[in-house]
Amino acid sequence: MKFNSSGYLVKEGLKNIWTNRMMSLASIIVLVSCLIITGAAILVSINVTSLISSIGEDNQVNVFLEYEMSDIDAIKLGSTIKKIDNVVDCQYYSKDDAIKEYKEKLGNLYDSMQGEDNPLGNVYKVRLGDLSDYKKTITEIKAVEGVASVSDRGDIARTLTKLNYFVSIVGSWIVLILGVVTLFIISNTIKMTMYSRRFEISIMKSVGATNTFVRIPFIIEAMAIGLISGLIASLALISVYNPIRETAGKMITLVGTSTIPISEIWLNILLGFSGAGILIGALGGFISISKYLRKEGGEILGW
Amino acid sequence: MIHLKNVSKVYSNGTEALKNISLDIEQGEFVFIVGSSGAGKSTFLKLLIHEETPTFGKIEVNGYNLMKIKRNKVPYLRRTMGIVFQDFRLIDKMNVYDNIAFAMRAIGAPERLIRKRVKSVISVVGLDGKEKCRPNELSGGEQQRVSLARALVNKPGLLIADEPTGNIDPKMSFEIMKRLIDINKAGTTVIVVTHEHELVRAFGGRVIIIDSGEITEDKKISGTDTISQEFTDISDNPVPSDSTQQNNTNNNEEADK
Repeated sequence: MKFNSSGYLVKEGLKNIWTNRMMSLASIIVLVSCLIITGAAILVSINVTSLISSIGEDNQVNVFLEYEMSDIDAIKLGSTIKKIDNVVDCQYYSKDDAIKEYKEKLGNLYDSMQGEDNPLGNVYKVRLGDLSDYKKTITEIKAVEGVASVSDRGDIARTLTKLNYFVSIVGSWIVLILGVVTLFIISNTIKMTMYSRRFEISIMKSVGATNTFVRIPFIIEAMAIGLISGLIASLALISVYNPIRETAGKMITLVGTSTIPISEIWLNILLGFSGAGILIGALGGFISISKYLRKEGGEILGW
Repeated sequence: MIHLKNVSKVYSNGTEALKNISLDIEQGEFVFIVGSSGAGKSTFLKLLIHEETPTFGKIEVNGYNLMKIKRNKVPYLRRTMGIVFQDFRLIDKMNVYDNIAFAMRAIGAPERLIRKRVKSVISVVGLDGKEKCRPNELSGGEQQRVSLARALVNKPGLLIADEPTGNIDPKMSFEIMKRLIDINKAGTTVIVVTHEHELVRAFGGRVIIIDSGEITEDKKISGTDTISQEFTDISDNPVPSDSTQQNNTNNNEEADK
């Protein structure tokens, strides 16, 4: 392609979008849906990964006390825990404090769970020193009389790893299936454009236009559809990301603090989605037109 | 310029469109390819522009060996020739200027050169002032002249006209033929494919007759000074009189001798 024709080719490609506007619109809608679903899967995955790593770095565990334990026994138990090697800090956190905190975050739902009806237990928030001795320390804490259970972060991390694996597998399938659907839709749009312009294509070929020259406007059209879809999908995701994160953060504090804020990833979403849209468009356009360009003369016109 | 040696074309359905054809057309010639419908004229044209490849034989056009030409070189072969179609093949949504410019844009010519050449070629075919007209605002003859201008705008050394007068009235046929002859006089090789024997006899030149896929005659007939007069007569009387037809028949017989 000569430089002086690039403006003409880009103009022709963009004109095609308007000429076939209904089909272009259909392609954009499908492509936006595919990108949003794919993008959501990716965002969930990277946030779960972030959660896992923050859990791994966190050296605090919750030690749940037996439900019936008196306050004095609880204080004694606290001093026993403090004596264990590798325990740096040990803060008491009563079930009344816990239910108050829940009420503040989630409202009236916890009104009926005050006092005797409080289902939560008293907790010691224990900070560990050296995480390499994590398992040994947890075992020692569990062995203390009156300790009902210890929130083993390792379990949460393992569950989240499984979840992340699941999200990755499902996400990959979603990307694959929707990718094929998108390619199919976009290549059909381009086929429609080519059909409507078959007369011009036959003339172009008869006067000596190279296949590349004939192909470029169609690929530009497909890439522009991809870019528009990528922009719409990324703006949609960016706009819903923070509200979802804030709501989830209210329910689970860890989600609020350990997930990635939108300010850190909005540019990646925008660039990634636009790039993916352009790439899918280019590929879809290339596939559909290459087959068509092997035709000659009357074959192009269907005569 | 064009060399065919023992060229045969058999289509996949078994139709033998051309049988062992050999011919040479040199630079600057004016050649009529004549034959009835189904004689093999279209296949012959398709071979020249490489829309089809021969089943057997050797074919060379404008220095390109069409038996060995690579797919990516075909556009460059086609840039050495201009093609005029019977049905004009103009793009309805484009005006005259853009239809002609399209042939240059399609090969990536710069806009400055396009403006210069299109203007010049519009004058050559006598369409000054019609630049902004759409094809549907033009007569058949004018549309064919636009098609001719588009074929010429890339300055090809070879012009192929496929039934150029097939869809236009006799007066316009005369106009188009005159322009083709002028173009030939300027040095361009011109091949006119037609089934209109009268036209051939009136204008004369080298005539290659194809029948049932074979060249049955390849000869030169003289175009006389009466050609113009004869066509002017026809154009004045679109429905030819018996006497005109008689004259044509006599001319045909003379030409065939």
